Amino acid sequence: MKGQAPPPATFPYPIVETVLDNGLLVVAVPMDSPGIAAHYVAVRTGSRNEVEPGLSGFAHFFEHMMFRGTPRFPPDRYNDVLKRLGADGNAFTTDDWTCYHIVAASDQLSTVMDLEADRFMNLSYGVEAFQKEAAAVLGEYNKNASVPFNALFEKLHDTAFTAHTYKHTTMGFLKDIEDMPNQYHHSLAFFARWYRADNAILVVAGDVRPEEVFALARRHYGAWRPGVAPFSTPVEPAQREEKSAHLSWPAPTLPLLAIAFHAPAFDAGGIEGHALDVLASACFAPTSPLHKELVLDRQWADWLAAGAEDRRDPGFFLVLARVKDAARVGDVRQAIERTLEQVAKEPLAPARLEQVRSRLRYGFLSGLLTPDQVAATVCHYAQLTGETASIERSFATLAKVGAGDVAAASARVFRPENRTVVTLAPASEGDAN
Amino acid sequence: MKTVLLPSRATPFVTFRFLFAAGSFDDPSGKEGLAALTGALLAEGGTQSLTYEQLLEALYPMAAGIGVHVDRDVTIVSGTVHRDHLTRYYGLIRDVLLTPRLDPKELARLRDDQRNAIVSGLRAVDDEALGMESLASLLYAGHPYGRPVEGTVSGIGALTREDVARFSSSRFTQDRLTLGLAGDLPDGFVERVAEDLRALPERGEARAEHGVSRRPRGFDTLVVTKPARAWAISMGHPLSITRSDDAFFPLFLANSYFGEHRTFNGVLMTKLRSDRGLNYGDYSYVEHFVQDGASTFALPNVARRQQSFSIWIRPVAPAHAHFAIRLAVRELRRLVSDGLTQEAFEETRAFLSSYSKLWVQSPARRLGYAMDGAFYGGKSLVEELADRLPAMTRDDVNATIRAHIDPESLSIAVVADPEGAAEFVARLAANDPSPVTYDSETKPDVLLEDRDVAIEPLAIDRSRCTIVSASSLFE
Repeated sequence: MKGQAPPPATFPYPIVETVLDNGLLVVAVPMDSPGIAAHYVAVRTGSRNEVEPGLSGFAHFFEHMMFRGTPRFPPDRYNDVLKRLGADGNAFTTDDWTCYHIVAASDQLSTVMDLEADRFMNLSYGVEAFQKEAAAVLGEYNKNASVPFNALFEKLHDTAFTAHTYKHTTMGFLKDIEDMPNQYHHSLAFFARWYRADNAILVVAGDVRPEEVFALARRHYGAWRPGVAPFSTPVEPAQREEKSAHLSWPAPTLPLLAIAFHAPAFDAGGIEGHALDVLASACFAPTSPLHKELVLDRQWADWLAAGAEDRRDPGFFLVLARVKDAARVGDVRQAIERTLEQVAKEPLAPARLEQVRSRLRYGFLSGLLTPDQVAATVCHYAQLTGETASIERSFATLAKVGAGDVAAASARVFRPENRTVVTLAPASEGDAN
Repeated sequence: MKTVLLPSRATPFVTFRFLFAAGSFDDPSGKEGLAALTGALLAEGGTQSLTYEQLLEALYPMAAGIGVHVDRDVTIVSGTVHRDHLTRYYGLIRDVLLTPRLDPKELARLRDDQRNAIVSGLRAVDDEALGMESLASLLYAGHPYGRPVEGTVSGIGALTREDVARFSSSRFTQDRLTLGLAGDLPDGFVERVAEDLRALPERGEARAEHGVSRRPRGFDTLVVTKPARAWAISMGHPLSITRSDDAFFPLFLANSYFGEHRTFNGVLMTKLRSDRGLNYGDYSYVEHFVQDGASTFALPNVARRQQSFSIWIRPVAPAHAHFAIRLAVRELRRLVSDGLTQEAFEETRAFLSSYSKLWVQSPARRLGYAMDGAFYGGKSLVEELADRLPAMTRDDVNATIRAHIDPESLSIAVVADPEGAAEFVARLAANDPSPVTYDSETKPDVLLEDRDVAIEPLAIDRSRCTIVSASSLFE
């Protein structure tokens, strides 16, 4: 499929952007959504920035602190304003970034910006509020604790990484979460270090005019200090031998199998990463021969998924399976590894490639129906690369991926010494794999 | 057959929603789980012309799916597709409804999955969902609402292809169907779909009356044990009103004030999380609530003929469980005795007036809400609120709270670690004080209030407390 004319633009709405004097990238995406606008702020800091020992999970914890008020808008007043607007506001943190989002009536955009910009510049809280929020974060860890996937991911990251901060999940190590109430002063330093205009992106999507968005952004965000400190994550050395770990689970869950390979960071123009996206869909989607074998025919697994998430630094290509019988974990693993070896040797058929591209494109479009979805998507790409042009560039790269690229990527990534395998099974079936 | 249409040229997508008034309520005795298996087999059992694998293959390049969600009273078959693929997609979803293959191979797989959803899912890996289903088992003991949609382990084991075929032909019928279409609908498309659906059986089995659940005075407590580092708590009581009743809407406002889902507005959230850091969140509901994906909004088309009032206390440290229950009951008693202030009423009304408009941002959700309106014999909840909120008064709200919320008739479900469960129940039933200490600084007024919370009377009778292992539930 190489050498074809470039496909039509993938993103269905205009993207208009400007950079304020303080370095804040401001993006407006006008779309047909009568009376509604989504206001998203991406801070390009996540758990990958947590380099100090004992302070894992801090980016996520800090996201909570961002709701603890400013002199102008103490927490009650902040919430009162949101409540009066009838706005839907929340936040989330990932490995790479932290997102603060509000969806509200578009004619309230000025109020929303006033409210949001204020906390990015003037956040202020005392020790009591800090410690109560630390307790709520422990509560969040606790609510997740009964879900085996969380433990599996925790173990996988800890096992596969040695130097890079992807070693811990975004929630952080439990011992660090339990120590959070003692880290008030670090929280102040964290804010000063990362919450800077030139480390953030503002995206407003919906029933808005770009020039109005830019004028409001200048007024409300113009005084936000720039000056984010230079930062680079520790480099993860190449893995030299296969690693594995097993978790024994106290409740009778189905066994879980995770097979992970170190994979390249997101690169909008990088063929290898996009080839892995194609491979993930072609080899592991519900239409794949492997899914047919494991889930539909032999019924050894009831669920199978794979893919490489977009990450700023090299992360994982991850294959996950939930196995119906602990005695079959080894068989399922073999079938997965056989599939990965095969794709390096037998190129995907052109028709299959075309179907995969179609699926990825329509899947992307079907996730862009509301201002909320649109702003989240633009933020996702912009936080990865610092620019929105990466959306179209990424899809253009995808269109260029050929069967040879898929084979080459799999030969390079799916090497046994690059692999980490983690299993989880009920305590009584602990040695099943 | 009812029809709800929301045509729009603003989107290149078309949404289909086929809502059947049939759900796990309709499961025959001894066949608990039949509605869920029938729904799953529609979605993943192929059509007369295509196996399930071939159906997946056809859907793949469109990045579209055919989803089936079964609840207690309704089943929704739905999908959204880009107009580029409308004709082909419609042929597939039509065949799923009209000529399902009900492939025995897929049935065996899905029946296995359904059993696992209880045995190694609900009982094992999601304590909060387990808490909610345990609460339902108390609220609706002996009633079909009192067990999960997935059914029971023995019921699932008894299901056959003949059961599914009979259920499908007697429940997925024209008289139980609401057809919903939204988006870029070509000329004549609606008529074609409606005509095709006439191939469904015209009338099905008459639907049994729901039978309003009893509401005994006092507290019933169920402690479900499994390994748990923190304990999930759900509590509540059945309601005699739904969106079909005028009184529902003032109660809906009162609930928003008390425990709006995943916001910091609610009394419960403020008292338990913000002031005390007891857990991650605390909310309340006046109807069955399923969160739509990662959003804060309710999934449409899980309508029920009977609703309940419930409080969801997310997992707390075991040492705080008794205190957290007391604090929630105390606040509920205050809600009933004091009601909302005029200021709180006006703030909540203003909030809901705007917030509700955000519930229908996508065509699929707008359509779902409109179809729920049809289920309850009115307009969509968003429109009902827009019509009713302006004229609502604080007195309406407070009178409705007093009429429908009873803090002295609560069922309480706790998912607890086996270690400590018996002692917990003993302390509950003895009405022992439950003082708490914090590892963090706490405001003086909160500490002062804690003294009263710790001795808030809970008249829990030991004979109405049950401890069961999670592994024995829904057997």
